[in-house]
Amino acid sequence: MLELIDVSTYYGNIQALKGISLHVEAGEVVTLIGSNGAGKSTTLRTIQGLLRPRQGRILFEGRDLQTVPTEEIVRLGIAQSPEGRMIFPRMTVLENLEMGAFQRRDKPAVIKADMDQVFDRFPRLRERMTQKGGTLSGGEQQMLAIGRALMARPRLLLLDEPSMGLAPMLVSQIFSIIQEISAEGMTILLVEQNARMALTVANRGYVLQTGEIVLAGDAKDLQVNETVRKAYLGEE
Amino acid sequence: MQIILKALRANLVLGAVSAFTVLLFGGWSGGVMGWLLGTATGYLKTQDQFVPNPQVGARIGAVNGLALGIWTAIANLAYGLILRPLIGQSSVPLGQSLLYAIVSIVLATASATLMGAIQGLANPRHKQATWFTLAFILLIFPFVDQIAKTGWIATVIQIQIFAMLALGLNIPVGYAGLLDLGYAAFFAIGAYTTGMLSSPHLGIEWNFWIVIWIAAAVAAIAGIILGAPTLPLRGDYLAIVTLGFGEIVPIVFRNLTEIKIVEPISSLVATILNKPELAICLVGCDQPFNLTNGEAGINPIGRPSLPIIGTFSSTNYLPWYYLVLFLVLFSMFMINRLRNSRLGRAWTAIREDELAASAMGINRVNVKLLAFAMGATFSGFAGAFYGSYITAIFPSVFDFSVSVIILCMVILGGLGNMTGVLLGCIIIMAADRLYLPQLAQVLKGLLNTTILPNVANPALRDFLAISFDPIQMRLFLFGLVLVVMMIVRPEGLVPNERRKAELHSENSVANESLADVRSA
Ligand SMILES: Nc1ncnc2c1ncn2[C@@H]1O[C@H](COP(=O)(O)OP(=O)(O)OP(=O)(O)O)[C@@H](O)[C@H]1O
Ligand SMILES: [Mg+2]
Repeated sequence: MLELIDVSTYYGNIQALKGISLHVEAGEVVTLIGSNGAGKSTTLRTIQGLLRPRQGRILFEGRDLQTVPTEEIVRLGIAQSPEGRMIFPRMTVLENLEMGAFQRRDKPAVIKADMDQVFDRFPRLRERMTQKGGTLSGGEQQMLAIGRALMARPRLLLLDEPSMGLAPMLVSQIFSIIQEISAEGMTILLVEQNARMALTVANRGYVLQTGEIVLAGDAKDLQVNETVRKAYLGEE
Repeated sequence: MQIILKALRANLVLGAVSAFTVLLFGGWSGGVMGWLLGTATGYLKTQDQFVPNPQVGARIGAVNGLALGIWTAIANLAYGLILRPLIGQSSVPLGQSLLYAIVSIVLATASATLMGAIQGLANPRHKQATWFTLAFILLIFPFVDQIAKTGWIATVIQIQIFAMLALGLNIPVGYAGLLDLGYAAFFAIGAYTTGMLSSPHLGIEWNFWIVIWIAAAVAAIAGIILGAPTLPLRGDYLAIVTLGFGEIVPIVFRNLTEIKIVEPISSLVATILNKPELAICLVGCDQPFNLTNGEAGINPIGRPSLPIIGTFSSTNYLPWYYLVLFLVLFSMFMINRLRNSRLGRAWTAIREDELAASAMGINRVNVKLLAFAMGATFSGFAGAFYGSYITAIFPSVFDFSVSVIILCMVILGGLGNMTGVLLGCIIIMAADRLYLPQLAQVLKGLLNTTILPNVANPALRDFLAISFDPIQMRLFLFGLVLVVMMIVRPEGLVPNERRKAELHSENSVANESLADVRSA
């Protein structure tokens, strides 16, 4: 479904991605793990066209995204729940969700139905429909960010550190939601620092280190891999 | 009695405005004020309580209108009997003063009662009736102004021109959050486009009804030309660039007086071969071309004309008033549509969080460009009207202070809120163009007849004579109002809900557990 071939992305002269290649197949959950500054968020931004690679190609369902503008990429079916949630703080929950559907040309009734689905998935958001996004709790904001991405009716969902800053209890809640969404057939590329949790929900994983992919494989294999255990699972 | 006293206190602000107006203008101005502000108080005082039926509304309106009328009437008597002699004019006879006072009370009470009663109507009806009343007031205002001999219509037209500008500036600044400090430049571009296309100066005298669209389009294009290279810049840099643009445009218009354009390649060849006759001249060959006529400006500019009415004349304000009223209403309608469109939501989103907005697939550069272009369009309309209304334009009318005053209107009224912006515009323009000059006259009369003759010390007398000119203190007063405003009510008079949250928030975020988020 998605394929990155030898992609290099720069911030000015600083090279953040040093020729990475990865692929995500339809229906999979693929996780990208790595420590701070490894280039995980950069990868997601490059996929969405918010940053353009200086080298390499990105193919989505066989189509080269090189010259496709972000709004078109979103319309093709790639939505992101960005790092740090980035909800619109002074828009209500409802308006935030509407913004998620910004690129869709569907009738309001169709969008309304999708919104109901999001509310069914996150009943707490329905209660807080008219509350300003910025006054939600961290966990609710994360739900809103995921819900907003779902409102684009994506075929590939990019999640950037959905567990960031949440208490352990909430982290497992979020991951079970991710599993739920995946079970309904969504393809997910999940960026995480919490490697343990990420590897339990994912089918496959990639390990990113200073802009390079150093390991790749089935999630089960990575879970028992020596390097991964030392560096990312904090085991001896 | 108790009720009246309470109403007098509740109407202190409107009453003060009304009384102050009467003290400055005298005559029937109290009646006009009673009519306008009576309607206002009838509306305002029925908003914060439940009004079950027209009778209750009428009663609330009547009491408040009466209170307003009483304040105005007191001012009428004070003006006619006390103030007039003090400023060196014959006092108004008691009977006449009483008549002014009674008319003020009657009109204030009647219009407040009517407006109060309207607010008691059933749901959709009361909105319609309110709009209808407002429309009626706007339509008959010029006639009332004539009958009452207040002579405010010229100022009201000026207010409406600036209303268009303030509404336009509210698009980039209030909706999209892009600080534009050079907005007068687009106003100038609209006016100069009109000047060039409908004046004997260049020999092009097109019809106003066509030129106004061209002016708006040219202003919009100017907005895009300015925006394209600068909008990727962050907020503070954008403000500086627009500031520069606002300074450059009037200077360019001032200096486009001797244009001679020579085709560059042939000119280069001519210089190398030292044969000046080889240079191919394109524009202004015999005599340099005068595009804008410099400081003297373009004059006269063609006026609009309509069947039946004929060409608008400079002595009859009526057609101008209705034309500009139509333009303001048209702008309000269009901007409201824009605000609620997809584009309007995109503006809000990029103001809130640019990065998140672009992750939603909003092209932020395009969206910002459109905010600039749309804002500029309305100043283009305003410029076209202004040029043909004044029938002359000079570069000096479009300087930085105009940009600042328009920005003040937007901020004073409440960024992003149309009612607020209009209110801000009315307050600033009325204060600046109507009250200050009149206050200056009254103070001068007071000084010359009452105060100065009683001051013995010549140095003190000179000091007093010079320093009590409110026109001199105009900018100081503006600054003062803005500073006080920012401290007391930073969100503006009629705040946009979002902006209010922005400025007053830091509500502690309730950190509830996600466990019950899901099970709830
Ligand atoms: N806007 C930027 N300008 C310059 N350098 C940047 C920018 N954003 C990120 N970088 C650099 O690019 C590298 C990769 O950053 P990125 O945000 O992709 O890391 P990450 O893997 O998502 O880290 P984290 O887990 O902390 O979110 C870092 O060295 C970072 O400093
Ligand atoms: Mg990151």
